[in-house]
Amino acid sequence: MRNPLSAVEIPVVDRFLGDGYVRNVVVMTFGSLALLALFGALFPESVAGDLSGAVFTGGMVAATARISAPIVLAALGGIFAEKSGVINIGLEGLLIISAFTSIYVAYVLGDAGILTGGNAQFVGFFAGVLASVLLAFVFGVVCIEYKADQIIAGLAVWLIALGLAPFLSTVFFGSVNTPGVGNIGWQYSAALVAVGTVVAWWTLDHTAFGTHLKAAGENPRALDTVGVSVSKIRHAGVILSGVFAGAGGSLLALGVGRFGGSGETMVQGKGFIAIVVYLFGNYNPLGALGAGTLFASLDALQTRLQQLGYGIPSSLVETIPYVVVIIVLAFVGRTRIPSAAGDHYETEE
Amino acid sequence: MSRSRPGAVRARIESLLRRFAGISGIDRVLIAFAALGLSVLVGFFIVLGSGRVAECSTAAWTMPITGLGFCYDPFEVFFVLFNGALGGPFYVWEPGILNPEWLPITLPWLGFMPGWSPFNNAFALTMSETTLLVFTGLSVAVAFRAGLFNIGTQGQLVVGALLTALVVVALAPLFPANRVGGVILIAIGVLAGAVGGGLWGAIPGALKAYADANEVITTIMLNFIAANVAYVLVLEVFRAEGSSVVATADVPEYAQIGPWLFPPTGDFAEAALLIGLVSLVGLYLFLEHTSLGYDLRVSGIQPLAAEYSGVNAKLTTVRAMTLSGALGGIGGSIWVLMSEGRWVESIPDLGFDGITVSILAGNNPLGVLPAAALFGVLKGGALQVGFQTDVPPELVGVLRGLIILFVAMPEFFRLIGKRLVPDEPEATRGGDGKDGDGVGGTAAVDDGGEASA
Repeated sequence: MRNPLSAVEIPVVDRFLGDGYVRNVVVMTFGSLALLALFGALFPESVAGDLSGAVFTGGMVAATARISAPIVLAALGGIFAEKSGVINIGLEGLLIISAFTSIYVAYVLGDAGILTGGNAQFVGFFAGVLASVLLAFVFGVVCIEYKADQIIAGLAVWLIALGLAPFLSTVFFGSVNTPGVGNIGWQYSAALVAVGTVVAWWTLDHTAFGTHLKAAGENPRALDTVGVSVSKIRHAGVILSGVFAGAGGSLLALGVGRFGGSGETMVQGKGFIAIVVYLFGNYNPLGALGAGTLFASLDALQTRLQQLGYGIPSSLVETIPYVVVIIVLAFVGRTRIPSAAGDHYETEE
Repeated sequence: MSRSRPGAVRARIESLLRRFAGISGIDRVLIAFAALGLSVLVGFFIVLGSGRVAECSTAAWTMPITGLGFCYDPFEVFFVLFNGALGGPFYVWEPGILNPEWLPITLPWLGFMPGWSPFNNAFALTMSETTLLVFTGLSVAVAFRAGLFNIGTQGQLVVGALLTALVVVALAPLFPANRVGGVILIAIGVLAGAVGGGLWGAIPGALKAYADANEVITTIMLNFIAANVAYVLVLEVFRAEGSSVVATADVPEYAQIGPWLFPPTGDFAEAALLIGLVSLVGLYLFLEHTSLGYDLRVSGIQPLAAEYSGVNAKLTTVRAMTLSGALGGIGGSIWVLMSEGRWVESIPDLGFDGITVSILAGNNPLGVLPAAALFGVLKGGALQVGFQTDVPPELVGVLRGLIILFVAMPEFFRLIGKRLVPDEPEATRGGDGKDGDGVGGTAAVDDGGEASA
């Protein structure tokens, strides 16, 4: 991302995208960064100079990586669920539950002297993923077996996690905020985001499972006719959303080193942003990476600008991504929801 | 408009509507109660489980037979939750199991025993929350009925609240500082809130209708925008002098909606609940007995059929979202004029809770009142749970989520019902179907659940 020349490499990237809209999202993200770097280099004394000075620093990259991990990974999870035909609006809840569980397990292991430091965090990470998968599995059963309305069940997942994490934190630690367990480096976040995106893209576009997944969301009857169980594929999609969102939530909490459970918890709507991000990226993992990085870098930039002493109220800068989403949804992008998403499917026997 | 094209389409839609209204109503109430019961049951085990792992010096409850000690008493928690929300009419658990002077309800104001009066602060909080949730619940419900998922009630409430506070403070000097002036100011304030919320709601409506932008996403975005922009506006422009928090100037005392019987410290006004009830009945009549309301419902159930029968779907979408936003905005007005007396940054999540209220109410305006009351009780009771027990009051948040989860899965209860009592569907419907009709009836209920969700 630091390399302004990345904009030039688009023809190579294009081979992987094959979708004009997604390409635009990716180009917009990296192009605007390149433009900023150019202006900053030409006019170092101007606002652009200050801005590029703020953007192209190690701190900025680290902050962007940390913020993008929960957003991009949850978005990738959301793609798997929705492509299979289950709209998972509960990503926020999966992030919350995994964030809390990862810290709790890391703390308990360290406190009992079983594992320390990095090892405890390592186990905590997987515990967070497991918690998210369990909650996602319950959501899948409710939606697929008991035919619950997906939007309402997703909201319930969010609300349950929103109550459960601070509740358990108070039970164990006497406060909605957990004690610290030490934070992990931003490189882990960056690496997992990159690996997750590639794995998601490969799975969706280059495996038989990916084809089945998309068929379950687009034309479940056809999939059924071929002899593949639609509900099994959908369960897999939902569980994968739990895996990805769980990784994102664990990284978010371990990156800070503690779980904060007051108000909307430390997740602060990142799960909802993730939904926007994958819609924005038109269900393409690479598009989600581009859009998610854009959001994360705007968020990180806004924090950085505060430190530089610009008089813009941070709340106003924070609204920019939201306004952009509305404008894009209204005038630029027409994302197409998988045609059977949100519907139950009855096997005909 | 739909009147201009009578005939088969219309008759078909009407019969559909009648079927949904008739059958799913009773079913919904049963499911709501079953969901509440099941949530309390699951909550019971959560309290039990966490009471086992939490650390305490003396066990609050010992399980019979096994002799296992628990830090939390699951019976006490739910007793305190519901009893505390009413301000503690029941004496159980105070000194011992039964107070020697125990009476279910003591009525000091009628010369009975000293003690509980319904007009207490805890019950006022419950009622205040109920009142506000009536508005936000109605807001979400009206959009739902038009087939729109308005997650943006929170933002509409924020905008409506801000406009109310600003307009009333600005216009206060123009009116006499007495009851009459106050009533006029309150009316203007509520109107301003409705206009503010309505306009904010019209934005996603228009985006949905004319640019095909998903309203779930746009309303979530507009919530963030409303919260941030309102915050910056108050911080930079409208902040009251010398205020330590980000808040507007206080609305004058006489322009606030004050209580008649409840203590002034309780932040609850009966008049506000009355406005809520009038809105509720008004919305019910609008939806069920006017042609505009009919168009709105039909667009929600059968958008294509609505188009064929001559309903302007785009306009209906904008109208529904505007009405929904206006109701959310009025909720904001009431919050300013009844609870806070000004706009402050720490706005409670009333709009999000409105979604849960509407879902529990089956998106029926008449169901909004009991649903809002239940969530009001949970809110009021949560505080008492925090005061009177060691159990973290966040438990109530878990209960809220569980209730919504169980309400979302009617199929689950139907399966259980079928397994327990094979003939239950007929029995619950007052025997309106003979043997063999049960299968058809259940299928119709299935349709109703899906179409209106």
